[in-house]
Amino acid sequence: MTDQAESVVVSAPDKSREARAIAIGVAGWAVPGLGHALQKMWGRALTFFVVVGVLVIVGAGMRGNLFGSEGGDAFAALGYFADLGTGSFYWLAKYIEVGGSDVSRAYGDYGTRFLAAAGVLNLLAALHAYEAARGRKA
Amino acid sequence: MKFHLSHLQAMLLFALLISIAFGFLSRRRPMDRVKYIAWSLLLFLLFGIGIGWAMYPFSR
Repeated sequence: MTDQAESVVVSAPDKSREARAIAIGVAGWAVPGLGHALQKMWGRALTFFVVVGVLVIVGAGMRGNLFGSEGGDAFAALGYFADLGTGSFYWLAKYIEVGGSDVSRAYGDYGTRFLAAAGVLNLLAALHAYEAARGRKA
Repeated sequence: MKFHLSHLQAMLLFALLISIAFGFLSRRRPMDRVKYIAWSLLLFLLFGIGIGWAMYPFSR
């Protein structure tokens, strides 16, 4: 058997499953918990929606630093990437934090960590939803 | 909407939320989830308070 014949052949149903898994992963990133809700994992869906939502609301309410795309250094870029992980909740945080961030006080600094943790947690949940849709784990 | 949480309140809330999320992410059965959440929360608090006390001599 040649190397070409031994290579993995991706069939049409596999391609369709992969496309669905990617769509579920993106949905899970855009709206926390949606990726699991689409797979009828209601407990996980509700948990991620509530946990990410509370982290974002409390983080923004504590006037944490919500990074923007105009950040000048690598840390600001990483912070922006982490904050963007919350998907649509990034704009919710912007809406709540009308007065801007205030990291001159300790709770403002904690708010920054809450926002970043919400983003990274949501990325983890979206990755989990993607893997579950591929049938790897659930 | 503004929140003024103390250090301890912020740590407790953070530890609780992250423990719940990790429990639901990594365990399937309800009892396993409860055990994982309790264990994770306990470790968060132990390490948080432990590191706080370890820094105490250098704070003054």
